[in-house]
Order: sequence, then C-alpha cells, then structure tokens
Amino acid sequence: MFSVIIYGRNDSHGYNLHKRAAISFNALAEVMSDPDDEILFVDYNTPDDHPTFPEAIHDTLTEKAKKVLRILRIRPEQHAHLKSKTHLVALEAQSRNVALRRSNPRNRWVLYTNTDMLLVSRTEGESLSDILGAIPDGFYQIPRFELPEMLWEAAFDRRDPAGNLAKLRDWSVRYHLNQVVHNFMPMKYDALGDFQAALREDMFAIHGFDESMLLGWHCDSNLAARLALYRGRVDTLIDKVFGYHCDHTRVAAANNKGRQTRMNDQDQYIWNVSTPYVPEQAETWGWPDVEIEEVRLDRETSYQRFTAGLDAALKPATVPYTSTSLEWFLYDDLTYDIDHTLPFVADQMLTYPRSTSVMLVGTRGEFVERFLTAWRAMGFTGPVLVPNECEGLPSGLEGQERGAFEDLLPRAEMFVFEFGLATQHADEPVRIGRQAGPLDLKRLRVVTKLFRQATSTESETRPPGRRTPRRFVGVNVIYNKFWPLFTDYVGANINPFCSQVLAGLPRNDPSLRGKVLRFRGRRAI
Amino acid sequence: MLLRLSGSLREALGSRRRQTVDEWVPGSHGSEAEHLFLRATALFRSGDGETAIRLLRQAIEIAPAFSDAIEAEAEALDMGGDTAAASAKYEQARRLRQVGRPGAPDRHFVLRQQGSHTAEIVAYTRVLKSLKKFALPHLARGNAYLADRQPELALADYERTLKLHPNSLDALALKGEALSALGQYGAAVEALDKVIAARPKDSEALNARGIAHMALGQVEQANGDWRQQLGLLGGRPAASAYVAMRLADHEVALPHLETMVATDRSDPYWKVYLRTALLRLGRPLSADVPVDGDSWASWLLALQSGKAPETEVMARADSAARRAEALFQLGVVVNARDRSAARSYWQQVVDTAQPTLVEYAAARNELARSAS
Repeated sequence: MFSVIIYGRNDSHGYNLHKRAAISFNALAEVMSDPDDEILFVDYNTPDDHPTFPEAIHDTLTEKAKKVLRILRIRPEQHAHLKSKTHLVALEAQSRNVALRRSNPRNRWVLYTNTDMLLVSRTEGESLSDILGAIPDGFYQIPRFELPEMLWEAAFDRRDPAGNLAKLRDWSVRYHLNQVVHNFMPMKYDALGDFQAALREDMFAIHGFDESMLLGWHCDSNLAARLALYRGRVDTLIDKVFGYHCDHTRVAAANNKGRQTRMNDQDQYIWNVSTPYVPEQAETWGWPDVEIEEVRLDRETSYQRFTAGLDAALKPATVPYTSTSLEWFLYDDLTYDIDHTLPFVADQMLTYPRSTSVMLVGTRGEFVERFLTAWRAMGFTGPVLVPNECEGLPSGLEGQERGAFEDLLPRAEMFVFEFGLATQHADEPVRIGRQAGPLDLKRLRVVTKLFRQATSTESETRPPGRRTPRRFVGVNVIYNKFWPLFTDYVGANINPFCSQVLAGLPRNDPSLRGKVLRFRGRRAI
Repeated sequence: MLLRLSGSLREALGSRRRQTVDEWVPGSHGSEAEHLFLRATALFRSGDGETAIRLLRQAIEIAPAFSDAIEAEAEALDMGGDTAAASAKYEQARRLRQVGRPGAPDRHFVLRQQGSHTAEIVAYTRVLKSLKKFALPHLARGNAYLADRQPELALADYERTLKLHPNSLDALALKGEALSALGQYGAAVEALDKVIAARPKDSEALNARGIAHMALGQVEQANGDWRQQLGLLGGRPAASAYVAMRLADHEVALPHLETMVATDRSDPYWKVYLRTALLRLGRPLSADVPVDGDSWASWLLALQSGKAPETEVMARADSAARRAEALFQLGVVVNARDRSAARSYWQQVVDTAQPTLVEYAAARNELARSAS
C-alpha cells in the first residue's frame, strides 16, 4: 500500500539520534499492515568504513521493523560530484528521489517523513495501510505535534512501539500536546515535511523532489507547492492520524546554525514556483542509472557475512588463549598470528561494496590464501589483485588476479599491505624474538616500495571517474618498524596492538617532510 | 442582515471598480453560500466555533455539494470534541470531491482536477494580501478558478502573473487554456505558439493547442500537435489512449485501452472506449462486463451492445457532454452498416459538443476521414 521514505547517515545529527530514530523506525513499522508496505531508508554519504545507520542500531529495532526496512546506501563516491556545491553532508532531495525510483511499484502511496516521527491512528487498531487504502487519490498532510525531549528520552522503550504509541495517546491529553499550527497555503501546516503522503504515480509525474535544492530546508514546502499545483488542493488526514515529533533541539543539528543557517531560497523554491514539473531532471531524477546498494537487516546481514567469511578461513582455537608481548626486544620481530589477525582485517572490509576490487600486497602466501577464502565467503565479488612484483605468493586462486603493479593500480578500489615474514611457517611460534632473514628482507623491501608508491600516487592512479581517495589497510603495522612507515603515508588512528591492523586514507601532509616523503614514494627511492 | 449588507456593499462596489488582486470573488457555490463559508472560517479562527458551525450548515443547506464547507464544519466539530460527527463530515467531503468525471488524462494537470476549490481560492487570496509579487499564489488561485470553470477570473490571475513575470511560460500556457475555455481559440493558439516555440516538448501545451486548432476547424494542425504529444508521452497508457482517441486512431488506442481496463477498474469509461475501438476496428466485442447498474457509462455500454435503444439512452443523457457521448457512440455503432447515418451522428457531435471533449475531436477526425 505505501512506501515510507526517510533518509539520514551514520552520524550524530541532533540530540540522541540513535534513540529517537529507533523509536521512529519501530513505530512506523508498527502501523503497517499490508505485505507490500516498506520503509526505505536512504543512507546518504556515510563513510565507506562505517556501517549504514540502521545497521549501527539494528539491535534496537523490532523484528517487524527489520523485515520492512530496505536500506539504500549512497556512497561518498556517489555524492562526490555534488560535494563542492553544498555545505551539507546529506542531501534530502537526492535521497528521497533515489528511494522513490526504487520503491515498490505495487504501492499506491509514498509517505515522506523523518526518523523522529511517530504516527498514531485516531481509531485505535487501525493501521496506516488501512487508512491510506481507503482514501481517494490526493496529496495529504497532517499537522505535527511536538513531543518534549524528556518524554521520549526518559519514558519510551525503543523496542516497544505499541507501548510508545499508547503512551502518546495518554500524554497527548494529559499534557495538551496536540496543537495544530496552520501555515500559509500551499504549506497548510508548519513542519509539513514530517507527513506528506502523495501518490507514487504523481511523484513520478512531477519528477520527484527538485534536486537543485542543495542547501537544505524547504524541500518539503517546494514539494507542497508543486503538488498543490498538480492536484489543485492540499488535503488533510487530521481526522485519521496524529503525528508526533521527537523534539531534538537541545543540541543544534548540522543544518541548524540559528540565524546564520544557509538554506535554499524561499522565493525561488516556494513563492515563485509556477509548475509542478522539473523538466531539467525529467530523465535523471533519482539517479536511475546509478547502481545503489541495498542492505537488509533481516537477511544477509553484515554479521552473517562476517562470520561466513571467517568460518570459511579459520578453524576454531584449540587453546584458551595465546599471548604476545610489547617488550622492546620484540620490536623487530615481524611474526604474527594469521588466525588472530584475519578477523580484524575482515572487519575493515565488510562495509565496502561487494563489487570492490582490492589490491593485496604482501609477503606471506598463507595470508593471501586465507584472505581470499574469507573475501569470497563474505560475498565479495570483486577481484583480489596481487602484483607480480610480490614474489613467492600463490597464483591461480579463485577470485585472484595477478598482473604488473602499474597495471593493477588503477583498478584497485582498496589496498591491503601486509608486512610479515615470507619465511614464517603456519606452526611457528609468534613473537619470540625472531629476526628477518635475507629472503624476508627482500620481500619486505618490495612491499615497502610498492606501499610508498601506491600512497604517494593514489590521487593520480584512481580508477577512471573516481573522485574519492582509496583506503589503505596495513596488516602487522603496530608496534614494529612499519608503524612509522605506515603512518607517515596513511592517516590512521591509534589502534591497540592486539588488532595488528591499521587503516586510513592517504595523508596529504603539506609540510616539507610530507613533500619529501611523497617525492620518495613517487620515485620509488 | 450583516451578510446581506456586506454582500450588497460588495456587489455595489464590485460593479464600479475592477477586482483587486487580493479581493475574493465568490465562485461555483454561489455568492451567499460562499460568503457564509468565508465568515464562518473567520469566526472559527477567532474562536467562535459554535457560530461557525451554524453558518457552515446554512451554507451547506444552500449548496449541498459544498465540500469545503463540509470539511470546515468537520474541523470545527473535531476541535469541539465531537470526533464521530467530525469523522463522518470529513468522509462526506472526500466523497463529494470524487463526484463527477475527472478531466481527460491527456490534458493540462489543472483540467484534470476534480471537485470545487473554494477553500483554495480563499486561502490564496489571503496569501496575496501579503505576497503580491510572487507567481505561485496568483497561479494557484488562477488554477483553482480554471478548475472551477471560471476562466475569466483565471485569466485575470494569469495575466497578473505575466505582468510580474513576463517570461513565465507556465503562466502563458495557462493563459492559453483560459482563453480556450472562454472560446477565444485564436488568441489561445497565439499564446500556445509562444510556449511551444520555447518548449517544443511541452506535452500539455501541445494538447491544448490541438484542441484550440480543432475548435477552429484546423484538423491537420490539431492532429499534428496530438501526434507530437503522443510521441512525448512515452507510452503512458491513460494519456496515450485519450490522444489516440482524439485522433480517432483506434489501432494505436487499443493496447493502451486494454491496459487501462486491466489496471483502472474505477473508471467505466475505459470499457466504453475499449469497445469503441474494437467496434471501429471491426473486431468482436468482449463479453459484457457489468459496471454500476445506474451509471451513465453502463448505458453507453448497453448502447454499444445493441441492448439499449437510442431514444432511451438519449433521454437519459442529462448534460450536453453526455448527449455528445451518446451521439458519438451511435455513430460508432451504426457506422459498419450505414456510414451516412454515422456521419450524421458525428456531425451533431461537432455541432453541439465542447471542443475539449474527446468525442468532439474523434468525431471531427471520423468525418474528415470518411469524406476523403
């Protein structure tokens, strides 16, 4: 019957985002009763190494919410062409249009709202699907009622949407919450963007939201103006449903700078609107030709993929624990435990697109084999690119491609540099003071050289059309001599030694030292 | 008394001076009912719900189909705590807005709208009191007038928009529609020529110019516009079916009509038009599919099947549009055995129907074709 369209990203927009979003996701799912109903959450521009926002809070969502939730992930790379045109990190019109394009075509309605709304049907037990199924074609809005922060934060249980909706019925009377704030036509109500129900067919006819609105605010009013023209009237559903907004102004959100807030021009986008259509984007709205990843919380979750990958690559431990040490004499010992390290390497990969092609530069054949096994079992379909310059590594493995480093460089979308000892055996004790032999040093020199070259030339060697920098994962680069090397070239956080892994984007150090390092990297000196 | 006084004052003043931009003019529900509505909504906003309800009920008594007044009463009842009565009124208002046949799907979006728009006219007039220089309130009010069949008032709003925004092609296209609705087809073509010169892919403007051309008897030009429109519709079935029917191109219309019959069961006209196409193509009619017993469309279907006599159907045609629809179908039914009789029916359609009707264009094309 209807597709709810909301958007956001894995950040901290406003106050206590996680709680109010969980409350809202669960409450929206609670009022759905048609098998075609869905919540489309567009996760816009969350950093690639983060999970999407709903994944980050999945444990607070009800089973019903997980079932109806479809997450459409827009990557930073897909936002890159708009980055210079806006100060915002999440774009409403683009998000909502991407969802509309990919919404369930069997649904008659699209409901635009936000991740802090709860909808309470006035007839107890009546679902929003029933309500929308019974009303005539049109464009419907409802007024928004405010919910003081204390109430939703202190009294709501995230995983009890029915209880929360019951509380709202009670509070609305006891605490006089229901105040309708009228507005000029075509807006009809204040804060109209929290409930705009339009026919899916109408939204396609008017070319979705206006994607030239890049500065935030008034997208809802623009839509109201255009749909008011198209439909001739703005109808109300106030007799059917009340909408409550979890107030969150204790902390200003990124798009709220008080009187200094930059926003879309009201005159242009509301008062001088003269047509429902946006012909300039008639063929392009919602990015019809862009492949958008879809993530589900009820199947093939990141956790399931992660464990599938590791279960394929690891055997369970046979001892209660292993040990290592940070003592100085072990600083030069580059042995490490693949079984222990691989989960932390896999952890760096999982949030990336399945089609990612990764370049693996390393020394230990066993690491390459185990990594590849985990990679494929995690559902990645992109190749693992291994440069010919890395001698002694296995070839011909499924999903592996070998080639000259120069040729593979522009194909790689991520890099893994492994700094181990080529001569380390699988059953060898780890970090007992072992020194690198001549073969180890020879192989490590190659890895070092390629690492410097890859990081120093990263911006010039990206795959065609790519604008965002690629991520570098360093394996066995903590508390040994490769830590300074790795962190000279890559902006990595400080990680505990136990994880063995660092990751980040190439550093663009403007100091003389940084310039010298990049020069050396480029020239492979 | 106050109402009468204010009404007569308004009328007296109205006769002496031109309507100002932010002045409200009563529309399709009649002056008295709409004045009552206006006063009731003002009283309701000022807190006197009881009097508001009383005035609204008076308005509804005068104009029972006044859905905006019914909805306003619903709001007043709801705020007063009578939720059950309010709910019934809201439903009634929604039902009333669905009464009547929606505009043809190939036409400008304004002309596809249903129901009356008094509340919108009042609301945008209020906006115009403070925002006189912007396009939207003028256009939105003009559209409401146009949709409510008051093209002279619509034209005034479009002209004001064009004075403020001389380059607004949207306002110019709507001006063309308003001129056409006023029967000023030559001026409509002139306005629409400019729109189409600047926006050759404006499907709605092409449709409007086609209608104006056809009204002027310029069949070839009209068909040229509609053929162009058909190409721009990207196969959207409802609009494509109507354009093809205007062209009397039944072969092209047929698949679109089949799609619409399968997907839109709420509009019985799809069945009527599907059978029209089948009859004109000399193909067998599908088995009768009943529609609502009393509906006008079921009489047209019965006429097509030879189950309802001409006299009875014509007697039930209670508007000029319905008479034209019946005459057109009579021509369709009789054409296979008596072309001359068919031509006579279609000529009557051309002589009596509004040029906006799909049957008008179809009849003109049928006549032009059978003459050649």
